[in-house]
Amino acid sequence: MFRDITLGQYYPAESIIHELDPRVKLLGTLVWIIGLFVMDNIPSFIFVTACLIGIIVLSNVPFSFMARGLRSIMVLVLIAAIFNLFFTPGTPVFKWKAIEITDAGIYNAVIMMVRMFYLIIGTSIMTLTTTPNNLTDGLETALAPLSVLHVPVHEIAMMMSIALRFIPILIEETNKIMKAQMARGADFESGNIITKAKNMIPLLVPLFVSAFRRANDLALAMEARCYSGGDGRTKMNPLRYKGYDFWAYIALGIFLAGVIVLKVVF
Amino acid sequence: MGFILDHLSYTYQPGTAYEVHAIDDISLKIDDGEFIGLIGHTGSGKSTLVQHLNGLLKATSGTIYYNGQDIYDKDYSLHDLRMEVGMVFQYPENQLFEETVMKDVMFGPKNQGLDEKEATLRTYDALRKVHFPEDSFDQSPFALSGGEQRRAAIAGVLAMKPNTLILDEPTAGLDPQGRDELFALLRELHDNSGITVIIVSHSMEDVAEYVGRILVMNDGHVAFDGTPHEVFSHGKELSELSLSVPAVTTFTEHLIGHGFFHDDNIKPAVTVEEAEGRILAELGRRS
Repeated sequence: MFRDITLGQYYPAESIIHELDPRVKLLGTLVWIIGLFVMDNIPSFIFVTACLIGIIVLSNVPFSFMARGLRSIMVLVLIAAIFNLFFTPGTPVFKWKAIEITDAGIYNAVIMMVRMFYLIIGTSIMTLTTTPNNLTDGLETALAPLSVLHVPVHEIAMMMSIALRFIPILIEETNKIMKAQMARGADFESGNIITKAKNMIPLLVPLFVSAFRRANDLALAMEARCYSGGDGRTKMNPLRYKGYDFWAYIALGIFLAGVIVLKVVF
Repeated sequence: MGFILDHLSYTYQPGTAYEVHAIDDISLKIDDGEFIGLIGHTGSGKSTLVQHLNGLLKATSGTIYYNGQDIYDKDYSLHDLRMEVGMVFQYPENQLFEETVMKDVMFGPKNQGLDEKEATLRTYDALRKVHFPEDSFDQSPFALSGGEQRRAAIAGVLAMKPNTLILDEPTAGLDPQGRDELFALLRELHDNSGITVIIVSHSMEDVAEYVGRILVMNDGHVAFDGTPHEVFSHGKELSELSLSVPAVTTFTEHLIGHGFFHDDNIKPAVTVEEAEGRILAELGRRS
């Protein structure tokens, strides 16, 4: 049931991408998204694809692992593609009664699908190669300037890391309660949507109870260790840039420049 | 009849970096009416193994026969199997969900298709068996103490009147009195109703007094299988598996080592009563 969730999952391996500073990967993801939206012709598409393949190979994470994340958004992508296919004005290439498919529609649908798939793969490479702790550390440092504007950056980062930390625990807890109720004859699969929702109660109530209990325990444990927010808090392993992080920044610059040049030239 | 496990193996997350062979090629026979202690340290595969017995986990390879029928057969109803093989998970109080204790205990019997009257009768019966305080029957399960929650949860499984009762670390977090009460209840169920009882535990000390057969698991394999006396005679090998034999066994072993007993062929005791009898007999012989 939860096997398809790769979001926020870390894949332990040794690679240059795993070693990179999380700030580089965060900015890299942002640049990647910008690049995807700049890309709108065949040469830039080829360039972007080549870069993606390069990163996948460098990351040492099996592609099947990333593709698992694609399955869950397949429906969303298909709906978006269908809307683009039928509702984009342009020169019609196919017409049957009220249905009209235009050349611009086909083009938009294809590029939309490619963009969404690449978006998911790109962001899952980030989460697969970065431990959740590292990721929130990176986010906290990257957003630190916002604290001048009274944005509670540390608190947001702390909440994020706790939330990420608890995803696997809650999944495990769900599985355990599900099994316990199945052992008592509960049925989570058959029936229509209303019976199904009703049958979920024996699962959801204990899950909520345990989530609240865990939150309580965690808050207590944090207070017992004198946690009092981000002010004056230091890190055991503060983030430091290494040599290849600068090369990665340069590579990102080249990537962005490359996509823009290809868009302008062709 | 009971269970026959035929070359059973189970792998968690096969084909990924997280692959774990939790149980590996286990073949076993469990007869009706046995009282079994399944012992092993954390991660030895004991919890994984028992979850196969009521079909909650499906083996990666191998199969299980229950009363002569292959439970992985297409026509076999796992739902019916679960109605006969009751399972009390670790910290079962985490499964409580209803508004009142009564309703929660009734969840199982109702899933069995029993009518209101029969389900209510069984619920009363099960709650009384676990010595649940009668004035709390209609309380919310979340307002109870930890020990009472545990009893309510165990009653929830007992109310289904299973032929086989599996308990995964049932005494974790209970005080000594609660532990003794629970074991006494299990012995009573086993002796009076003749049901098969399987207790999963990491402590030899706990189960030695009650069970008739001990299975020691290590690293996904069954390391030892026999009566408590047979298994505890392997004290050295057991401590290598980071399991310890009961203190009273070690104690009588030392006495034998020092030539305390007249009879050289005497075996180390498994329970305190047994040791007491032997020592008193020896002292009586001397005086």
